[in-house]
Amino acid sequence: MPGQSVASPQERVLAVARKELLDTLRDRRTLLVTLLPALIAGPLVLLLMFSVIASQLDKVRELKLPTIGKERAPALVAFLERQQVTLTIAPSDFETKIRAGEMDVVLVIEEKFEADVAEGRAGTVQLIYDRSRDRAQSAIRETEALLRAYNRQWGSQRLLLRGMAPTVGNPLNVESIDLATPQQSGAFLLFFLAYYGLFAAVMGGMAIALDVTAGERERQSLEPLLMTPARPLELVTGKWMAVAAFNAVVVIITLTGYYLTLRFAPLPAVGVPFLFSARELAWFLVVLVPLIALLPAVMLFMGTRSRTFKEAQASVSLVIFAVSIIPVVQLVQQKKDPDWIAWIPVSGQFSLLGQVLRGEGIPLAHLAASFAVPLALTVGVLLLVTRMLSRESILAGK
Amino acid sequence: MIRLESVSKSFGKHGEIRAVRDVSFTAPDGQITGLLGPNGAGKTTLLRMLGTLIVPDRGVASIGGLDVVRDLFAVREHIGVLSDARGLYPRLTTRENIRYYGTLHGLPDALLDARIETLIHTLGLDALADRRTQGFSQGEKMKVAIARALVHDPATILLDEPTNGLDIMSVRALRDQLRQLRGAGKCLLFSSHVMQEVAALCDRIVIVGAGHVVAQGTAAELIAQAGATTLEDAFVSLLGTGEGLAA
Repeated sequence: MPGQSVASPQERVLAVARKELLDTLRDRRTLLVTLLPALIAGPLVLLLMFSVIASQLDKVRELKLPTIGKERAPALVAFLERQQVTLTIAPSDFETKIRAGEMDVVLVIEEKFEADVAEGRAGTVQLIYDRSRDRAQSAIRETEALLRAYNRQWGSQRLLLRGMAPTVGNPLNVESIDLATPQQSGAFLLFFLAYYGLFAAVMGGMAIALDVTAGERERQSLEPLLMTPARPLELVTGKWMAVAAFNAVVVIITLTGYYLTLRFAPLPAVGVPFLFSARELAWFLVVLVPLIALLPAVMLFMGTRSRTFKEAQASVSLVIFAVSIIPVVQLVQQKKDPDWIAWIPVSGQFSLLGQVLRGEGIPLAHLAASFAVPLALTVGVLLLVTRMLSRESILAGK
Repeated sequence: MIRLESVSKSFGKHGEIRAVRDVSFTAPDGQITGLLGPNGAGKTTLLRMLGTLIVPDRGVASIGGLDVVRDLFAVREHIGVLSDARGLYPRLTTRENIRYYGTLHGLPDALLDARIETLIHTLGLDALADRRTQGFSQGEKMKVAIARALVHDPATILLDEPTNGLDIMSVRALRDQLRQLRGAGKCLLFSSHVMQEVAALCDRIVIVGAGHVVAQGTAAELIAQAGATTLEDAFVSLLGTGEGLAA
């Protein structure tokens, strides 16, 4: 029979890929650990962030201002009420309540306010708050802005009464023009979308990549496999195909989870026209293709290099750390990414994901650049793994 | 037919570990040749060279006329190996484990199905055929590994200590199996450190010690050569003199 029937290289590659996928699908614990976070973590984080943002937005929209001494400044009260602020009577223990976080800011109109104003002195109001509380920030900012506005208006009226133009007292006119498109406003929240998408591409293939390399060696099934007619390049290609396919599935599941959550879950309205439609979903997948290909190759390399599964896990966690820290650095820098960043694996993908989310078009040249390096690296690393499998030393140390 | 001519292999940075030194022997078709020697004599290294996993430093080794270095992949199609490492895939069933190797050997589906059935039946694996190999006993795993090595009906069969860890019933079943293969004209090379194993099964015996061939021939020839009365005495006296067991 020998020589009669020889499989073609493609058949052998497919046989390897098929076997590794079947083997992985049978490994229920690994499947659970890999797929469950992909399915659940993303939507959960989204829900959480949405409700935090929504509660902050609610605060701004309906500012409640507990006040002491309302009756002392009827004009100010009228001004604030015109600005949709609800003025309530502050309880006497308001300081304790602010410290406890139950109240954000309290307005105190001093007793001698009326007398001061009547005698031409500046009337004093106090704003009492705890600046260290993040949640109170928007209420504080809003109240300060309103009081400044009232101050300006009042001053202008007085100047006018004295026959002077209001610009005498306000020579500088500051206008803020917010260039953020509605989509850009949600950018920070969307950072997490990009980050999780990237992370899925990094983590998705890890368990299986190590199982088909370090695991194969630890199980003592590598040596007999190397004595079959399957060439090392075919084994490596087949294994890579299985890992990359699995990785792609994890990424698709993760992103689809987001898509469905954003589309159908009863998320509180945050006033941001958030776009993660089928179009963004498709773009995400396209942008992540180079990483879906590259990271399995890198992990196969790590797994083949290591003598045991444990050793492999240790070196892979280094890769994961490096990859997951890069986007954070980019975010903290808060600079616009230069065009050449598209050439850099991981950074380039993260930058492009951001562009997709901000509703910007992706230039074809950038996309091509972001594919070039990772795909070349994938081929290089796979050839390296092939060389390792062809060496005698692969058998040592078992 | 397996033929080795002055094969040597060293390991280590400077080749200081001389695992195999100037080994020559032949193993004819239709016979079981035993490779007998103490632990560390170089048996596994010899089998790995024949299995094309490592390349001899010097000398020529061929199987069925194919050079193990030059015709690497043709040799791999030609041989079935039960190596020292014989791990199975625990999440695959017996049948799937065997099928994987059959596919890599390029057996067409119908032929592969038939081969798997035959092997499962002759090795007594019927009850285990569709169970995952996780939790199989040593003997059961060994049978699956043998079935896997034989799936493409190889003309040359290399077995590295196949009886290790087997109970006596399994050993006897294995012997029957190997005799059948011999009857079918296969060339079998069987390594063991257990003298009784080799004596019970092999037509020819090659005794190796410290990396080189100490003596070879039939059991009767070896006994005569050592001037001993039993094969065991012959084994000990052939190895014990010189560098044999001490190495």
